[in-house]
Amino acid sequence: MSRSIWFVAEHQDDKLHLGAAELSAAARALGDEVVAVVCAAPGGSIAQQVAPLADRVLVIEDSALEGYTAGLWTQGIVALARAQSPSAVLLPHAPLGRDLAPLLASRLEAGLLTDCLELEWNDGLVGTRSVFRRKLVARERVATPIAIATCQRGAFAAAAAGAAGTIESADCAIDPGGARTRLVSVERAEVGEDNIAEADIVVAGGRGLGDAEKFALVQELADAVGGVMGASRPVVDQGWVPHDRQIGSSGVTVRPRLYFALGISGAVQHVVGMRESDVIVAVNKDPRAPIFEYAHYGIADDLFKVVPALIAALKS
Amino acid sequence: MRIAVCMKAVVDPQARIEVDGDGNPRQDQLRYEVNEYDLYAVEEAIRLTDDGAGEVTVISLGDDSAVQGLRKGLAMGAADAIHVDCDPNTLDANGVAQMLAAALRDGEYDLVLAGVESVDLGGSQVGVLLAEALGFASTTLVVGTAAPVDGAMQVRRELEGGEHATVEIQMPAVLTIQSGINEPRYPSLKGIMAAKRKELAVKSPEDIGFATLPEARVVALGMATPPARELARMIEGSAEEAATELIRILREEEKAL
Repeated sequence: MSRSIWFVAEHQDDKLHLGAAELSAAARALGDEVVAVVCAAPGGSIAQQVAPLADRVLVIEDSALEGYTAGLWTQGIVALARAQSPSAVLLPHAPLGRDLAPLLASRLEAGLLTDCLELEWNDGLVGTRSVFRRKLVARERVATPIAIATCQRGAFAAAAAGAAGTIESADCAIDPGGARTRLVSVERAEVGEDNIAEADIVVAGGRGLGDAEKFALVQELADAVGGVMGASRPVVDQGWVPHDRQIGSSGVTVRPRLYFALGISGAVQHVVGMRESDVIVAVNKDPRAPIFEYAHYGIADDLFKVVPALIAALKS
Repeated sequence: MRIAVCMKAVVDPQARIEVDGDGNPRQDQLRYEVNEYDLYAVEEAIRLTDDGAGEVTVISLGDDSAVQGLRKGLAMGAADAIHVDCDPNTLDANGVAQMLAAALRDGEYDLVLAGVESVDLGGSQVGVLLAEALGFASTTLVVGTAAPVDGAMQVRRELEGGEHATVEIQMPAVLTIQSGINEPRYPSLKGIMAAKRKELAVKSPEDIGFATLPEARVVALGMATPPARELARMIEGSAEEAATELIRILREEEKAL
């Protein structure tokens, strides 16, 4: 039986998210046909943008689909999936997929695999994900006719654009009155002049810095190397630095020439946002910190001794 | 306002974790603690009912390890607790959601809060599946709540890259709570003492209508130790020596500075 694998196109401001190419690649390895599903307001070009990544694009267009809301996207995708019975529907393990995937799974009575690092078809959809803070990996198989999965960002190599797939307008009515969630507004991040996403050198600090005052040391090293200061999530949660500094799964993904991780343990939420950096240096007093598995160079010592010494060495 | 908060006992991430021959974590090595995200959910529920116009129930599905979390929730200020006594390893996420829903269905809750994910298995799906099982609306990754107005609540949802969405959600609803929303309180001695007198109801699967456990939609195929990653080249010596050597490498070998 031929398998049709769908992925949900993620987009904002009429721009397709780059992660679509990763979902396309994951889908291609699983099935015979790759279908991109687009939920959007009329007049945009998301279908055209995603077409080179799919054999077929299914477009659900409605003026009520301006911006993401769980209820309306669920209505549209569920109606299509019921009519066409895909073997699997893939989404990003990101705010979109984490909200939408369990809703689709519930309505379609489908098994859901989340945060997948690998997917294969082996008598059903089989996924691998990290558990126990990456100490183990778990394999699971979906036992229902339709499978839903969310893919970790960066875990699948992006597909190259191919011939544009056919674009079909899906005939399914959206009932805005049926939605119990409504998008009121989206608040953009305030990005300072020193945008970390575009920096050549990023110097990031974590919980190991201890408090907001001592965090100034991170900025000192950033200044000394001509880089930009970044941070891990706990530091942002504590309010030591603003949100636009956050690197990782709910922050910014960076790929600088040089990355310093100071007092960062290396939780998966952070690592997914920096592991592609060209050269990674970690300073952490715990020699067993997972960050050393991602770093190219490590110093297992007190950062309050090492960082001033680095600044001094740079000046010599 | 009646609020239920889901709590889970999770494996202490600092614990040594190894697999046995069947691909299961070796139970004798596991230590449990309360899922960190659930504490943010408890704190938020207590703040939402601070004015005395409401009550918080904490609920946990699990074996005996679930009880310590419920006691902590009670000590933080929850009014009562429900322990669904069931081995969670026999259920998939949908099964857990179905059983929690059965235990909560008659409680007439306006809101159910859950941590955004568990720190041990990180499935991040029970909250939304529970909403579906209860017929509630849901939204995820919540980092801010406002007092409800006319049966609806505006919440702040975390997106990526520092962006946030404001979402209006009709109640009853399930919200999954992300870190950063609040600073969970430490239970006071008074709270801990008071918790001992609060009701902690224990319910078996049969008590809530499950003569047999819900059929799994996802089947576990086992766990394994991931392939070892190459470790960083560790630079030894005093802080000064290591710093000097690192800067030399970055300048001369990597040409990154």
